[in-house]
Amino acid sequence: MAELVTPAERRRLFTLLSPAYLWLLVAVFLPLSAMLFFSFLTDMPQDAPDWGVTLGNYAEFLTNPTYSTLLAKSLKLAVTVTFFCVLIGYPCALVLAKSIKGRSREALFLMVILPFWSNSLVRIFSWAIVLRGNGVLERAINFVLPFDVRLNLMFTTDAVVIGLVHSYLPYVILTLYLALQAVDDDLIDAARSMGASKLTILRRILLPLSLPGLLAGAVLVFVPVVGSFMEPRILGGRMGTYYGTVIEDQFVAVYNWPLGAALSFILLAVVIVILAAASPVLKRAQT
Amino acid sequence: MKSAFLLSLSALALSASGALADEIRVLNWQGYGTDLDWSLKAFEEATGHTVVHEYFNSEQEMLTKMRTNPGAYDVVLVNAIYNPQATEEGLLAPIDTSALENYAGIPADFAESDLVTEGGEVYGVPWTWGVTSFAVNTQVFDPVPDTLDVLWDPAHAGRVSIRDDAVEAMQIGALATGQGINDIQDLDAVKAKLEALMPQVRTFWGSENDWNQYMAAGEFDVATYWSGSAARSAAMGLPVEFVVPKEGAIGWLDSLTIPATSEHKEAAAQFIDWMIDPEFYVKWDAEGAPASANADAAAALDETAFNRRVLGDPEVAARVQFQTPVDDDTRQQYLEIWQALKAAQ
Amino acid sequence: MTRSPLVLLGKIWLALILVFLYAPILVMAAMSFNASPFYQLPFQFSTDWYAKMAGNQQIITAAIRSVLIACGTTVIATCLGTAASVALFRYEFRGKRILQVLLFPPIAIPWLITGTAMLVFFFAIGIGRGTPAVVIGHVALALPYVIVTVSARLSSFDVTLEEAARSMGANAWTVLSRVTLPWIAPGIVAGALFAFAVSFDQFVVSYFLSEPGDSTLPVLIYTAIRKGFTPEINAISTIIVTVSMAVMFLAARFSKFGGSR
Repeated sequence: MAELVTPAERRRLFTLLSPAYLWLLVAVFLPLSAMLFFSFLTDMPQDAPDWGVTLGNYAEFLTNPTYSTLLAKSLKLAVTVTFFCVLIGYPCALVLAKSIKGRSREALFLMVILPFWSNSLVRIFSWAIVLRGNGVLERAINFVLPFDVRLNLMFTTDAVVIGLVHSYLPYVILTLYLALQAVDDDLIDAARSMGASKLTILRRILLPLSLPGLLAGAVLVFVPVVGSFMEPRILGGRMGTYYGTVIEDQFVAVYNWPLGAALSFILLAVVIVILAAASPVLKRAQT
Repeated sequence: MKSAFLLSLSALALSASGALADEIRVLNWQGYGTDLDWSLKAFEEATGHTVVHEYFNSEQEMLTKMRTNPGAYDVVLVNAIYNPQATEEGLLAPIDTSALENYAGIPADFAESDLVTEGGEVYGVPWTWGVTSFAVNTQVFDPVPDTLDVLWDPAHAGRVSIRDDAVEAMQIGALATGQGINDIQDLDAVKAKLEALMPQVRTFWGSENDWNQYMAAGEFDVATYWSGSAARSAAMGLPVEFVVPKEGAIGWLDSLTIPATSEHKEAAAQFIDWMIDPEFYVKWDAEGAPASANADAAAALDETAFNRRVLGDPEVAARVQFQTPVDDDTRQQYLEIWQALKAAQ
Repeated sequence: MTRSPLVLLGKIWLALILVFLYAPILVMAAMSFNASPFYQLPFQFSTDWYAKMAGNQQIITAAIRSVLIACGTTVIATCLGTAASVALFRYEFRGKRILQVLLFPPIAIPWLITGTAMLVFFFAIGIGRGTPAVVIGHVALALPYVIVTVSARLSSFDVTLEEAARSMGANAWTVLSRVTLPWIAPGIVAGALFAFAVSFDQFVVSYFLSEPGDSTLPVLIYTAIRKGFTPEINAISTIIVTVSMAVMFLAARFSKFGGSR
């Protein structure tokens, strides 16, 4: 990595960066800045001539225990889902990157993401058909086993976790693959020839070297899951109310953009603080 | 198949709009009467106008779309309790009802309601109405219950559902505690009643899609529902029956409106007239429709049709409390109560 | 790492996870051949939903529109995102951390809020609505996914390779096309696949920014839910997944993007 010294390098940096960030500026950052502005208002300016500036929408988060309870619940859900995605996804990525050679690797690589070229709502309702009482899963199990099995998975937090892990697993598998595939096989062979056990190779070589991929994958899972509301609503039943639900309600059930915006930016701030707090810990783990 | 009315309407269209064929843009729920293929085809044949649709997923989003897209829509379905607000915001145009041949069939209760008129002008043409109450699985219930208490009956614990909607939940709670739905005095009683309902609930439903799938899969014994949707579910073969219990039920009215910024107001009025035509309604009802706000249309139904047999019964109608507008603060208050109840699960 | 029991175990695990990933897709496909409009079991074979879907012009137009928008989004987002990732990787400059943190808001803030914000803002500055506005929104939401993914790959790139190439007289373009791009190819492909998935499933932006009558498939599906959608949706989704699978296997057959060492 080079420090910027020459004007030519600065120009190159600008050429590479500006298209993406200008695009984001116009389509996301400026619109969200407007939302950030709304979050400090008492009313939307076009509806109420007597609108004013307030911190009340943020104070609402502190005074109404519903919001903090649900945010904690959502964070717990996101941690659980991220944990399972990594636990399930790591061996897959490792096998894909290191044990499968040739054309089948490319094919499997594509197969991991392909289910997600379908509509998420259709996928979730398909999960409902699998998990519900006397659904596909129970029928399949009872077909194999001689005794009657009742799982009662539908409308539970477990169902929500299953649906979300399914939805986000490809992000972890593919980003981990990108990092693990980059690890030099010679390095592993060298370690093995020096008598390192499989566990040592995993702990001392593969894990540290795949950390960037692990982090990228974990971010792409953790961050959107905190704000998710659709999978919980459909699969979680009575237990399916999360922080994303109450944000959505401010736009859909009532016309309270200022509060909805404030709740969203609190979510964003909490997510960034958590990631910032986690990064030094992870950096230490890498060395 | 074409009635004299159709011919006269097309003649009217030719003379009035100078034979111009317009594209009418309708904003509505998907699958809610205005977008039936056979009807649009006949309408195009009769008037030359084509109809395209845009759909919304919630009433708040419908208002947002109208506010931010001036000129984009010609006909918008507005639940009558949102009509005064939309009128006040200047989103709607007054409608010249003298141009609507079928308007005379709409009874004064609906046509002259405060909800759809303002300062002597009509801002919404009452189109359909219906009842929010509950429906039961007829394979579980025999006879069908006549009381709202069945939702709280421990015999059906874990087999009950209610819509995930704060206002609707509070109004059901009001009925169950013997209060008026539009003026809930004892909020604590409603809250306690809903709290007691929570352990009974299998899941909340959000759409007809959820409702039908879960009912078909045998997850529910009893669930709150809309009358028109129950008619449609039954027409599609589900074993369900809609109940208007002795405690009463919630009535709602949907109106068709013309946005102030519409550039095809004449064509829009023709389309609205088409929508309140009894001939159209009878065909629509065969597929499962809410009740028509046009008395002539209701009278044209077969005597066995649910919308005539049950909702046409004056004794049933007397039990229905029609919704009035809910102001933003009350709505917010209901939402907070409802969210707290759900978050406690 | 070949031929050990551990590897065999790993391959079995991968196979099991693929079954898990495809379970709802198989159910989705099975239900497109099931007679019940309410997705009821037991299964009764029928091709009625395909016949109905073939006669439903609205759904077919919407599906084609969605695929085209997703393709456009993928191309734009992948190019812009890869360029930005390379810049973020290669240069140290003030404000770099901020640019990286700025990738979080579009992922973290629920799309409903971002979409509403876009709607209000696009009207305020005159972009208005229509397919260009939809693509602008989709690309913006897909960009962070591309940048995060490509950066994950780049982080293991050995810059000395570039220096070596340069010292042997290669110009900047040759270094990029012969050294850097082949190395990050798997990251670019993964980023592009994510971008397509994000756009193809994106509901809110299309919902707020499409012209009336110009629905995309997700808009049609999400707004159909209130009145109930039918297995026609499963039929069209099954066709799309099957066709994409065929295209992807062809791609896998004729190109090598998994990365080499």
